[in-house]
Amino acid sequence: MIILFVVLPLVVAGLLPLAGKASKRLLPDLLANATLLFLVAYAAVAGRALIADGPVLQQTTWLGEALGIRLVLDGFSLFMLVVVALVGLAASLFSIDYMEHYGAKGNFYALYLVMIAGMNGLVLASDLFAVYVFLEVAAVASYALVAYGLGRDELEAAFKYLMLSVVASAFLVGGIAVVYGMTGGLDFAAVAMALKELNAGPALAVASALFLLGFGLKAALIPFHAWLPDAHPSAPAPISAVLSGLLIKVSGVYALTRVFLNVFGLTPALSTVLLWLGAVSAVAAAFLALGQKDIKRMLAYSSISQVGYVVLAIGVGTPLGIAGGLFHLFNHALAKGLLFLTSGSVQRATGTRDLDAMGGLAKRMPVTAATNLVGALSIAGVPPLNGFWSKLIIIVALVQAGHPVFAAVAVLASVLTLWYYLLMQRKAFFGRLNETWAAVREAPFWMTASTVLLALLCVGIGILFASTVTTWVRPAADVLADGIHAVAGSWGF
Amino acid sequence: MILQTALLAVLVALSVLAIALKDLLRSAIALALASLVLGIVFFRMGAPYAGVFEISVVAGLITVLFILTIALTKSGDEVRESKLANIVFPVVFVAFLAIDALVMKRLMGKVPALARGGEAGTFGEVLWKGRTLDLVGQIAVILAGVFAVLALFRQRDKHE
Repeated sequence: MIILFVVLPLVVAGLLPLAGKASKRLLPDLLANATLLFLVAYAAVAGRALIADGPVLQQTTWLGEALGIRLVLDGFSLFMLVVVALVGLAASLFSIDYMEHYGAKGNFYALYLVMIAGMNGLVLASDLFAVYVFLEVAAVASYALVAYGLGRDELEAAFKYLMLSVVASAFLVGGIAVVYGMTGGLDFAAVAMALKELNAGPALAVASALFLLGFGLKAALIPFHAWLPDAHPSAPAPISAVLSGLLIKVSGVYALTRVFLNVFGLTPALSTVLLWLGAVSAVAAAFLALGQKDIKRMLAYSSISQVGYVVLAIGVGTPLGIAGGLFHLFNHALAKGLLFLTSGSVQRATGTRDLDAMGGLAKRMPVTAATNLVGALSIAGVPPLNGFWSKLIIIVALVQAGHPVFAAVAVLASVLTLWYYLLMQRKAFFGRLNETWAAVREAPFWMTASTVLLALLCVGIGILFASTVTTWVRPAADVLADGIHAVAGSWGF
Repeated sequence: MILQTALLAVLVALSVLAIALKDLLRSAIALALASLVLGIVFFRMGAPYAGVFEISVVAGLITVLFILTIALTKSGDEVRESKLANIVFPVVFVAFLAIDALVMKRLMGKVPALARGGEAGTFGEVLWKGRTLDLVGQIAVILAGVFAVLALFRQRDKHE
């Protein structure tokens, strides 16, 4: 019943506004978090057993008649489902306390669950047009969530985000049209097989360029990043966490890698483009992050940089590179989710996002300061945290594949990352307590609990990295490393 | 062929008008006319369903929504717009036309097997049996739209 990943959040989303009328807080909190908890359990516990004998192809039937709903669960999609459910749950737990003063909680969770359903649908889709449809589902919900605070900044950021997202969608639809024109199909398997036989160089290049522009905008790779540093900081903290931790990865990185590696096949030219895009994003965004005074804007630039890291690793195309990239995607989702949540706790306590105005907050908010430090060090790649291992795998893969210069670039980006995160930690939490914040208190229970959960995951995965890689990352990387064979051979309905 | 080219040229001209016109109402009408022409192009290219939807939904329903919304707005302060767009847009537009004329025709000639439908059957069969997942997605988009309106228009006066 893998369709549950899409239908369950949608059904609960439909009920939530009604639940919100019956009970303003308790019922919406309970329903949304229980749904996400179920999705975590289902993906993490039942998922592995489901794909034990290879990818699961599900053709849904209704009253005995086959419907046109064909979903596929393989190592890569299961991996993404687990990431979405985990970070989604943490951000949703955080919302219990954080969204209190925004009002209309039932509505908030409804939009939130539609966004989760969109991401899950995208991950399980087995054809190009369904990818586009679910990408839009997640995007439409996210526009409203970015603007949820209704302030001028939020509305402006949401509008800018909407405009650039629409451009991305236009490119994607264009790309899909070219592929459909060439192959007469949309199914991943059919397209992969048809393209193999067609040998349509120039037209495929046009389609690839359109997809690269579309997914590049969604993933906010430099030079397509202009919308992200506005949209992500303006959103409420749990939404920032999900946008940076999940949405750019699902609708950008996941879709891009699925299409380019499993449907089109990674060519050397494409590999070079991905390496360059990744490397430029990783370094340039790290430099841009260094100059930020707004804590959430710094985190947003850091997201661009780390997504660059992931794309750089996947661009290598070797099994080790792909595994490193995916592992980093996982680690970054956890750590960036964590950092956006802690920044939300700080903003809620102090009312500011300006790093220069903070200082010494560790004395007043020790748990938030500690979890923030774990997240920062994890993304910066300090051992023994999870981010260290993924970065190590990426650098080893780059050297092994004969790209020492890109490996050096990756190390440089890592050093820059450590630099700006230490800067952030020092300005916000260390040093003498700024007198203005004498009355500040630690964040409420659920906000702290969700950050502690993510911090523990960062530490735990760092210690148990080997088993995490073999259990979750390797099956996903194998699917991608198999190239078009992973799809063309076994995905026929 | 000449008629087709003329229709496409009119389509592009109306689309440019929709962007360039300062009056929102005229802009909305230019957009409606553009989608009407696009609907005709769809019909002529053998895609009647796409044509019907383009004309009924985009040229019809959405235009009505636009005009209703414009009617609800009040003329307020003049919005100062960047003058840069007046220079950048024509330059990009001309460059785009040049690239289109020089490259696309040759490139499209190389696209193999173009204009062959992959899925056979009537419209209903394709929609209900072939693309049911898209309908689930559509429902989700509509849900998101409704929740977005509910969320963005809550306690509006507090922020005005």
